[in-house]
Amino acid sequence: MSAPSPPLRLVDLELDLDVFAGPFDLLLTLILREEIDLLEVDLADIVISYIDHLESRGELDLEAATEFLVLIASLLELKSRLMLPGEELEELELDPGEAAAELLERLLAAHRYREAAQHLRERLAEQAGYRFRSVPLPAFLRRAALPAARAVYAPERLAEALGELLTFPPAVDVGHIPVSKVTVAERLTHLRALLRRGAFSFDEAVARADRVTVAVTLFALLELYKQGELSWTQEEPFGHIQVHSPAAESRLERAG
Amino acid sequence: MIDEATELERTLEALLFLSPDPVAAEALADAAEAELHEVVTGLERLREHLEFERRGLVLRELAGGWVLSSHPEAEPAARRLFARPRTPPLTAAQAETLAIVAYLQPVSRPEIARIRGVNAESAAALLLERGMIEEAGRSQFGAVLYRTTDLFLRLFGLASLQDLPDPSAFDPSPELEEELRERLLRAGEARAGGPQAPDEAPPGA
Repeated sequence: MSAPSPPLRLVDLELDLDVFAGPFDLLLTLILREEIDLLEVDLADIVISYIDHLESRGELDLEAATEFLVLIASLLELKSRLMLPGEELEELELDPGEAAAELLERLLAAHRYREAAQHLRERLAEQAGYRFRSVPLPAFLRRAALPAARAVYAPERLAEALGELLTFPPAVDVGHIPVSKVTVAERLTHLRALLRRGAFSFDEAVARADRVTVAVTLFALLELYKQGELSWTQEEPFGHIQVHSPAAESRLERAG
Repeated sequence: MIDEATELERTLEALLFLSPDPVAAEALADAAEAELHEVVTGLERLREHLEFERRGLVLRELAGGWVLSSHPEAEPAARRLFARPRTPPLTAAQAETLAIVAYLQPVSRPEIARIRGVNAESAAALLLERGMIEEAGRSQFGAVLYRTTDLFLRLFGLASLQDLPDPSAFDPSPELEEELRERLLRAGEARAGGPQAPDEAPPGA
C-alpha cells in the first residue's frame, strides 16, 4: 500500500450510494478516516456498480478485477467485524461509572491473585527443606491389591475383542470379476484370418464365444476399422453386421 | 512423657518408610489389619513421637495421604550429599497463574489471562511440564481447563485444597481499595474533560 502506485485503475468507478456519491477510491479514503461509517455503506451496491462498470467497458482487466476483489473483501471483513459484538465495543458502550467499576473489579482480582501468588512462592520455598524417598518400591516388594480392584469390564469383553482378531475374515468373493482370457491381439488375428477368406458376419466371428470375448472382438473390429483394414454394413439397429474388406465395399458401390 | 511406641505404630512407621508416595490412612489400615480410627490415632502418635524426640524424619499429611520426609534441619547436609532440590522457584508469572488455577479450578487459560491482564500461555505450559497443573476437560467454549495436581499439594505442603488460605486474605486493605477507586475515578473525569475535574495533583506514591 505504501509503494507509489500507478494511477489507480478503479478511479473510474463512480458510485451513487445512499450515503455517498463519488469515486470509489474517495469512498475508501473516507471510510479509513472514519468520516463515513462503514456500517451504513451497502457493500452489495458497490459490487453491483462495479459489475455495471465492467459491462459498460465490455472488457475485463484482470489486474483491476483482482484489485477490486481484494479491496471489497477487506471492506467486507472489516464490516463483519464491526457488526460482531466485540469485547472492545461492549466496553465502549459502558458508561464511565460502570467502566470504572468493572476496571476496579479487575484490578482488585489481579491484586488478590498477585498476593496469593506471593504466598505460594513463600510456601514453596519453605517446603524446600523436606525431601521424600524418590525411589519407587522395588518390583518384588510391590503387590497389586487384587481384592481392592473393582471390575469395570466383564472378562468376556476382552475375550470377544481378542476373538474377533483371531478369526480369519471370510474370503472375499471375486466371482463377479471376469478373468480376462482373451486379448485384443488374439481377436485381431482371428478377424484378419476371417477377412482373408472374404466377407463374414459378426455373428460368425463370435460364434459360441462368451460375453467377454464378444466385447473384446468388438474392440478388435473397431481397431481394424480405424486402421482401414475392414468396413461393415448393418441394415438396422441390432441387425446382422456384415464385415468385409474396404476394397469389397468399393466394388459393391461400383456395382450399385 | 510419651509412652513407648505400640506395635501398630511400629508397623505404620515401617510401611511409611517403604512408601515413596503419600499413603491414604485407609490403605494403611487394610495393610496393618487395624481399624481406621486406630490407625489415625497411631499416625498422630507417631508424628508426635518423631517431633518430641527431635528425630531426622517428619511425618506429614500431604495430598490426601501420609508420608515421611526428611527434616528441613538436615537439608544443608542433604544438599551436600545429593543433588540440588528439584523444584526451582517459580517466576512471578508462573506463581500468579498457579494461584489462579489453585483457587478457581477448573479454569481456562483465557480466563487466567483475563484476570492477570496478560497472556498466560508460556507460564501455563511450564506448570504443565512441571506437573503442578493438569488438563481437566474443556469449557463450554472449547478452551482447555486446568486444575492442580497431587504433586502440587505435595510440593506446597498441603493435605488438600482446603488447606489453602481463604483468598479474601489476599484482598487489598480497604484503604488501598479506596485509593484505587479514587485514582480510577479521577482518571475517568480527566479524560471526560469535564469542568468538574478536580484541579489537584495526582496522589503521591
